[in-house]
Amino acid sequence: MKRNKRPLWDGLFTAVTLVGAFGVNLLLMERFSTRTMVPTIFVLGVFLVSWRTQGYFWGIAASLISVLAVNYAFTFPYWAFDLISPECIASAVVMLIVASLTGTLTTKLKRQEQMKAEAETERMRGNLLRAVSHDLRTPLTSIYGACSAIVENGDRIPREKQQKMLADVCADAQWLVRMVENLLSVTRVDAGQMELAKQDTVLEELVDAVLVKFHKHYPAQNVEAELPEEFVSVPMDPMLIQQVLMNLLENAVFHAQGMQHLWLRVTVRENQAVFTVEDDGCGIQEERLPRLFTGLLDRESPADSGRSGMGIGLAVCSAIIRAHGGQIRAWNRPEGGAAFRFTLAIEEETHGEQQI
Amino acid sequence: MGNNKYKILIVEDDSSIAGFVQTVLETGGYQVLTAGRCGQGLLVFTSHTPDLVVLDLGLPDMDGAEFIRRVRRDSAVPIIVLSARSDEIDKVAALDAGANDYITKPFGTAELLARIRAALRISRAPDRAGCFQADGLVIDYDRRQVSVEGRPVHLTQTEYNILSLLSLHTGKVMTYASIIRSIWGSLDDGSVKKLQVNMANIRKKLGCRPGDNRYVVNELGVGYRMLDE
Repeated sequence: MKRNKRPLWDGLFTAVTLVGAFGVNLLLMERFSTRTMVPTIFVLGVFLVSWRTQGYFWGIAASLISVLAVNYAFTFPYWAFDLISPECIASAVVMLIVASLTGTLTTKLKRQEQMKAEAETERMRGNLLRAVSHDLRTPLTSIYGACSAIVENGDRIPREKQQKMLADVCADAQWLVRMVENLLSVTRVDAGQMELAKQDTVLEELVDAVLVKFHKHYPAQNVEAELPEEFVSVPMDPMLIQQVLMNLLENAVFHAQGMQHLWLRVTVRENQAVFTVEDDGCGIQEERLPRLFTGLLDRESPADSGRSGMGIGLAVCSAIIRAHGGQIRAWNRPEGGAAFRFTLAIEEETHGEQQI
Repeated sequence: MGNNKYKILIVEDDSSIAGFVQTVLETGGYQVLTAGRCGQGLLVFTSHTPDLVVLDLGLPDMDGAEFIRRVRRDSAVPIIVLSARSDEIDKVAALDAGANDYITKPFGTAELLARIRAALRISRAPDRAGCFQADGLVIDYDRRQVSVEGRPVHLTQTEYNILSLLSLHTGKVMTYASIIRSIWGSLDDGSVKKLQVNMANIRKKLGCRPGDNRYVVNELGVGYRMLDE
């Protein structure tokens, strides 16, 4: 959509700038009755146009129009064209040079900025991959170790011990499943917005699905859910948003030490659905807050705490929410515990609602 | 062999998944047939007439939905689809083609067995004349009345139609499209929303709260499923 509007905007900008330059010149002429400023002002106009518009077209068009304008209105014979004078041709050449040089410079600058952004994405992906490989190794080691021990020395390990080892394998495998689901989401989001399977999702159904899934994994942990009474439907990729909510709730289970209550609140504010996951646990260390969503956590903490996976979970949340055009943030509640909040836009849907 | 065990056909190309599912099912008291390809699966299906099919969606020789359509030509046998999380579209296509249920990989044994039990239960009792009953919910088809824990629930015509449709296919995942086609006849832009609004009203009237939906499960982005236990 943005791309379609661009030429229109560029054309408008060019026209406004040139008309402005023309007007300023007329004013100056009346005030100071001199024409020495005329070419300077037009050069400035051409520079502005080639700087702010895309490609070379508008800059070159602006320089040609400026030459014609100078020739027509501000050089002898006034209010008539005299295109073959050497003066006119020289000024045309100067204007064209200004336009094309400015165009080249801005294009180069824009490309540099784009490359910088790409490098940044690449760097984030690299960080995420490093963090993931680290986090995958721990459970894989224990799965591999336990399984090979049982396969090779099964008869010498007591039965209860074997059961315990297999139960651990189960838990580790489940952890890996969650990790891989997160990775899948990231690749889907990274592939660009096109991949988002957005559909109108009813808040109540989303929260219900999340709670059902959560209770299946953590039957002991109660979640207090609050959501609006009325029917609210939000366009989103339901599987991905479900994953975000699961990650936030799971984080609380794993990291909020001393947690008594866990809340999942959804409110509607203006044109946004606001999701908040809050707990009354130990909160998050202040110095970690700024880097919470970067996937770069816990590297400085002891290596064996790598089972947490919190960094990756939150980086995935942030990537998913950003791909939806929403925002996510975290803070410590004044009364204790951590809070995570993200927003999703509710598109206005007036049609279709009446006839139900 | 005194064979009154249910016969289950597993169509899955990965031998370790097929092996583990087979072990689980045999331990659960079922007789198991396996096939590594859809073509082979169809052959086994026609020659052994299993009571249930577990079908992996990502087989190399045929599209899963095509397999289901061929089976559905002359059989109402329950089909449970195994799907990876990434092929959500295939999942909906499989359900629309006539699959009863889906399980997302990776899955646990308890979940698999529960789904199989539920699917077999439906196909065992096709004619459920009179009343539907599950966990306090009673639907009286003759009088078109619904009650929860003995307390009558007043549903609109459409709400009743949706609820009774779901109850007639208990345990089966009904996609939005299939429900809409049965209730309104045709699909248009606003119809999914129309269905969702009706479902929200039904939930409210049945007294369901998020996370405690006793009767109708939300299959996010896919459809609804009525529970039967």
